[in-house]
Amino acid sequence: MNVNARVLSNRLAQQCSLKRIVTFSTKPTQQAAAVAVPQQKDAANSAPVRKPIVPAHYRFVYPEFLPDPKVEWRNTVREKLERLDMLDRRRQIELPEFYVGSILAVTSSDPHAAGKISRFVGICIHRERCGLRARFILRNVIDHQGIEVVYELYDPTIQKVEVLRLEKRVDDSLFYLRDALPEFSTFDEQMEPETLEEGTPVPINDIKVVLRPRPWLERWERQNLLGVANIDQYIKDKHRKSAEKVQKPWEKYDMMKHYRATIPEEEQKEIFAEVHTELHTLELQRKRNKRKRSFVKPKQLA
Amino acid sequence: MLRTVICDLARLRLSGSASPAAVLITQVREKGHLSRPRLRNPYWFIRQQRTRTDDLVTGENRTFIKEVVHDTYGVPALIKGTQTYEQKQLIKTTEAPTDAEPWTPAVRRCGLIARKIGQYPLWLKNGERVRTTLLQVVDNHVIKYIPPEEYRPTQRPNVHHLNKYGCVLVGAECTNPALLTKEYCGLFRDSGVMPKKNLARFIVSPQAALAAGTPLNVGHFRVGEFVDVRGKTVDHGFQGVVKRHGFKGMPASHGVTKTHRRAGNIGGGGEKGRVWPGTKMPGHMGNRWRIIKGLRIWRINTKYNVMWVQGSAVPGSTNGLVYIYDTILPLRKPKDAPPFPTLYDNADANEPDDIWYDQVHSFKEESISYKPE
Amino acid sequence: MSQILLRNIKRVGNAGALLTHSSVASPLTVAAAVGISHQQLHTTPACCEIRKLARLRVVDNSDLGKRAMAEGRPPRCIHVYNKRGVGLIGDKVLVAIKGQMKKGILVGLKQKQRLKQPQFDSNNLVLIDDNGSPLGTRIHVPIPTVLRTILKEKTLAKGADYTKVLAIASRYV
Repeated sequence: MNVNARVLSNRLAQQCSLKRIVTFSTKPTQQAAAVAVPQQKDAANSAPVRKPIVPAHYRFVYPEFLPDPKVEWRNTVREKLERLDMLDRRRQIELPEFYVGSILAVTSSDPHAAGKISRFVGICIHRERCGLRARFILRNVIDHQGIEVVYELYDPTIQKVEVLRLEKRVDDSLFYLRDALPEFSTFDEQMEPETLEEGTPVPINDIKVVLRPRPWLERWERQNLLGVANIDQYIKDKHRKSAEKVQKPWEKYDMMKHYRATIPEEEQKEIFAEVHTELHTLELQRKRNKRKRSFVKPKQLA
Repeated sequence: MLRTVICDLARLRLSGSASPAAVLITQVREKGHLSRPRLRNPYWFIRQQRTRTDDLVTGENRTFIKEVVHDTYGVPALIKGTQTYEQKQLIKTTEAPTDAEPWTPAVRRCGLIARKIGQYPLWLKNGERVRTTLLQVVDNHVIKYIPPEEYRPTQRPNVHHLNKYGCVLVGAECTNPALLTKEYCGLFRDSGVMPKKNLARFIVSPQAALAAGTPLNVGHFRVGEFVDVRGKTVDHGFQGVVKRHGFKGMPASHGVTKTHRRAGNIGGGGEKGRVWPGTKMPGHMGNRWRIIKGLRIWRINTKYNVMWVQGSAVPGSTNGLVYIYDTILPLRKPKDAPPFPTLYDNADANEPDDIWYDQVHSFKEESISYKPE
Repeated sequence: MSQILLRNIKRVGNAGALLTHSSVASPLTVAAAVGISHQQLHTTPACCEIRKLARLRVVDNSDLGKRAMAEGRPPRCIHVYNKRGVGLIGDKVLVAIKGQMKKGILVGLKQKQRLKQPQFDSNNLVLIDDNGSPLGTRIHVPIPTVLRTILKEKTLAKGADYTKVLAIASRYV
């Protein structure tokens, strides 16, 4: 009964506006974009609506602040303590905004290295987990050897996280780079950070990756990848058929699945209202420091 | 029935006779049913919830009941991260007793009732990552102390332990007394504590006795010490051997039919031609009381009454009840005196909320770096 | 027949480079190649765990290793010198390479690694002799920094000097 009511209300809600937001997907869905436009019109017509305090993009910038949506694992006190710890860590180190597809340089202290410090540059191919467990995978090809490293975002041995190029890709994770030609995951280690003008949206890189011939590590033809160019070149009819068989086109209508996989918008607002001021002051502080630094060191033109 | 009748008859017949040797009493081999230990539930095992017949109570009366509850126990309040009632005037004991005996290693202290609220990693100062479980001590109060002379445990202790240990009854999580039975609320009458949802008894030495009404907090334990945690494991229901005991099962193909997740052979023949006791077989998995021993406390938060203990294998589900004891492992017992009989809250505002063990890296500190050789 | 073969090779592409040498046609190899092209033998992804008969990649510039890799007959692990039988990073293995038995040290694995330790796209091997000194003079791929600690420890424990492997490394990750 309860579930029924929920489903019904959810359906209503979805008809009006997209109430729930996928926790981990960083890209606003087309539906959301479509819905967003009429809302703005409404706002213009009707009385001045109170502006939400928390910027809407926070759930993409700080996805790890949203807890695991599994109901059995949730506890408000634990989540609160976790958030406090995350903020404490963020006061010590700048953890910038980045997405799957961004190019990062991570400097971490390494007891095994000669200088007790190691730096790794690579493209972020995956971001997962939440809270203090949030982690990401970097991939690069160095000396024709593909290398991947898993870092935890809140690991105190990490000394610096730099975003060399801030951009998104069209897929949620880029594991297919493992089967792609090496030039698609080769990045220069001496790369200079590319600055993005303030206020511009994060660019989406829609580069199509060229895969090596089969055998592959995964059956990419089943995963509806948008960032792969030549998947049809290597698959036969039987692969195509079996890929069709495992497709679940009805899942986008499965509201319960969606409900279970996401944190409700109201809760998201609550969570970000709690951490917003702190994060905002940190952002401002960082910006000020950066300006100061850039002023002190003017670049010489050769 | 028939046998007792015959016995009675025999007794009757013999009662008149002069020779005492001929008196027939129940034979030894039939005596088993007389000396069988009977389960004596402790007196606080009584029905908790009242059958609810609210339909006869008017709205006015309901508000009246609420008012009475608030008058006697205080208004609802969020204390140390737990939803409870503000019951200041009722708690009698917050000061340490003056005539407390000193702690010795042989003494058994009281334990705590907690909830497992989740897991997350902490890092040590050497960069090592430890997985920790968070246990929140939920609004604990001593309900009663039963001295050794009066305490009658379910199982009669042996001569060595006879009258050695008393019992402390601890309650956790206040609840609305209007929902409870009269008898259950009666348990709390003498202590002045509001009726609690959960009760637990802890076997303690008489030196570690606690007066009724004493609040117990996470400060009862210190960082760096070891604790045992008792909880009821997650209920998996009836499970096969592959899930329950981690058997491999059998191949998926190569002529195997209908035996992919089965145990296979369960015993030999000949002399051992039977199923041996303890053979791993399908059955109910989980929902058992289990104690995990010797977990180090890495960090304590006194504001929310939370402790971080080593490992992610604490029995029970998230938000499940667990009981925390001093460890019984001989090498991990505390060397110097812990708060004894417990830490009395003296409301020192200067103390920090978070207490970190020496080896743990606090998130407020700078990033870890190693000294170059 | 040869047309079929050529087409197969084209399809197999880069990964089929292993087969190209068999196009030097003796009737037997042609037959084998045709048979292979259906099952795509030797083109399955390498086993992620280093256990017996796992194919490895020699990453030093030793003559033997270079020739074996160029020929497309990579060495196979025939024994792992530890108690588990599964090679982890820094473990010594015995390999069959070009009809010889040689020892080697694993310097990069495809398996899941610990946090902050690199995971490679291939299972890398450096050939050594019985004393622990490497056969080549240079490792041409990066090796993980953990090896410095692991090999130093092993040197102390086992007697043989494995640190020479570290000396010929070109780069650490």
